[in-house]
Amino acid sequence: MKQSITEIFGDRFLKPLFLPVLFLCAVIATALSCGGGQKDAGEETGPVTLTYWQTYNDDENALFTELIEEYRADHPQVIIKTTRLPFMGAEPKILTALATRTTPDIARVDGSFVPKLATRNALMNLDEIGPGTIMENLHPVALSSCVVGGITYAFPEQFNGLCLFYNKELFRRAGLDPEDPPETWDEFIAMGDKLTDPEKGVFGFGMRNSLWWTFPFFNTYGALFLSEDGTRCVLNGPEGVEAFQLKVDLYRTHKIEGGGWRAGGVRDDMGFQNGKYAMIFSGPWAVKTLQAAGIDFGVGLIPRGPAGTSTNVGGNDLIIFRSCQHPKQALEFLKFMASEEVQTRWANRLGQIPVNVKSEQHLDFQKHPYLNVFVEQMKTAIPRPPIANYDELENIMNPEMQAALDGTKSVQKALDDAVRRINREVLGAAE
Amino acid sequence: MGTREIGRTVEAGRGALTSRPEGRDPGKTLLNRPADRRSPYLSWRHLRIALLYIGLILGAVVVLFPLFWMITTALKQPGQAYSLQLLPDEPTLDNFRRILADYGFARYFLNSIIVATSAAFLATLFAALAAYAFAKKQFLFKRQLFLFLLASLMIPGMMYMVPQFAIVSQLRLMDTYAAMVLPHLANVFGLFLMKQFMESIPGSLLDSSRIDGASELQVFRHIVVPLSLPVIATLFLLTFQFHWGNFLWQLIVTNKESLYTVPVGLAMFRDAHEELVTLKMAGAAISIIPIGILFFFTQRLFIEGMTKGAVKG
Repeated sequence: MKQSITEIFGDRFLKPLFLPVLFLCAVIATALSCGGGQKDAGEETGPVTLTYWQTYNDDENALFTELIEEYRADHPQVIIKTTRLPFMGAEPKILTALATRTTPDIARVDGSFVPKLATRNALMNLDEIGPGTIMENLHPVALSSCVVGGITYAFPEQFNGLCLFYNKELFRRAGLDPEDPPETWDEFIAMGDKLTDPEKGVFGFGMRNSLWWTFPFFNTYGALFLSEDGTRCVLNGPEGVEAFQLKVDLYRTHKIEGGGWRAGGVRDDMGFQNGKYAMIFSGPWAVKTLQAAGIDFGVGLIPRGPAGTSTNVGGNDLIIFRSCQHPKQALEFLKFMASEEVQTRWANRLGQIPVNVKSEQHLDFQKHPYLNVFVEQMKTAIPRPPIANYDELENIMNPEMQAALDGTKSVQKALDDAVRRINREVLGAAE
Repeated sequence: MGTREIGRTVEAGRGALTSRPEGRDPGKTLLNRPADRRSPYLSWRHLRIALLYIGLILGAVVVLFPLFWMITTALKQPGQAYSLQLLPDEPTLDNFRRILADYGFARYFLNSIIVATSAAFLATLFAALAAYAFAKKQFLFKRQLFLFLLASLMIPGMMYMVPQFAIVSQLRLMDTYAAMVLPHLANVFGLFLMKQFMESIPGSLLDSSRIDGASELQVFRHIVVPLSLPVIATLFLLTFQFHWGNFLWQLIVTNKESLYTVPVGLAMFRDAHEELVTLKMAGAAISIIPIGILFFFTQRLFIEGMTKGAVKG
């Protein structure tokens, strides 16, 4: 049985509605489409325009704006059109853009995101464009997240790692020398014991429990995450177990850790600022906040283990997407950002670690007294395992480590279970 | 007022209370109980009320404490951001000034108002029109079409994101308010909510208005809409709230800071490791104002809409 719309709704219904609906549609179309289109007039001709999605914080963005002005002056044929994104939204935005082929030319992304994009064939092979001699000057640790399967897909732009932050006032109160932080894990435990006063709610140490924040323990014990051929996870070896046992013991046996890792616990940075934790791990990003809070603090190297002092690696890299129509100009911009001059300015203005080793000789340690410790620490830093789905490692490891800290699993069992899942679900290795 | 007058007033009140439950033994009503029998009854009742109030107050404290924390943190100096102290040492409004003057939060706020209001209005309008058709009209495959639409509710919203983004991008709507609003106007949940409510409107009411010469539009405007006001208000509030807090979609369809909305603006206060907590709390404190105002004025209708739609008949 066929029915026309008029029959279904009735002529009396359609006629009076027709004009208002038409009007409404016109209003919606006109009102909502204001705000500009996708392309700028004149974009097709004239200077080359490079779109750049970045995630700088306020201080970084202020310096970056200055740098861009200078770059434009020196490169009048290149226009860098930037979009500032919130850090936490950058990854889903890029992945959505990737699925619809609307990626920008260049983006600043977290180092752990580069392998994921590279394995999706989303990035330009920079070796083919010719990165030039600047590669020799880039810090090898910073470069680690940029190279996937021997191919350079990114340029490091900023990198960091954890160091030991300690509260000098609490050191004084515990009768410890505020200029002499612990250098070994044994000293760390001994000092932590003196600093801990549970009745006053003060603990020697406050820690987090994600994999990234646990790498300093593993690294100082020389625990390998992957086998030499990179096909299997071997973190449950004797070194890995010993390293993580230390972390668990700090909380369960030595009782010098205040439970900052627990849900509902006072987080390490908050506890440090409120005099609850005498020592925490943190990085260059925390210095400004701690100074603003008026905390009397010092920075030292991560305590030495059997493999010496070491830390983890974080930071941001610059990538060029395959959709970029002007890869040479884009690479020039990446070189500019990683250049000795820019990195020196970046480090001296913001107190960050330069990715260009040549900049290290120009650092202003008077202005940034802790910067030398950070630079020193990064010399022995060990990068994250170069796995495309790094997030998956965190998702698998963290609950297992939590179980060991809670005491519901032994350290060996927790690491065995985690490694088994990583080999099966992430690396696809046979049992 | 003399004792006799008070007595009369009490008597009148007693009469009113005792007259209501017909056929019930007057001796069992509260005020007619003898004094010696009343006190244990009252004390147990009072205890229950006291416990109820204590529970409610504790619940309110749990619910309101984060708001209290947000506001006091917004009044703290940046150096005190992570302080566990409840109240700021030196309260300041500087965080509010900075987010408005230095961070363009007024613009984000305006964008959010435009997006949330237009989306809520249009989505409610379309849902009401569709619900009227499904509730009160007969047409081919009505049931099947409704089931098909309901089935789409089972698909997680994230699944729509990439196709919707592709459509918006192909239509060259990127960086427009339309991109933020249009993909969410077909609200199946709203359609379902309204249809259930509108089905409770007696068909005879609509028929009688038609007999009186009302057109379909007049029936909809003058009969259906006024009777459905609670559910319309509910859907408007829910849709407004959804768009007011929507972060991801509004981020991915905009590449211009001038079009960022409040949730995107708030996310800008955080980078990989650090967070400008006092500024973020100031922004969050401002951002709850429209929802608060909206809920304050529509709470009666909202509660009515949420409860009435559940009971058909």
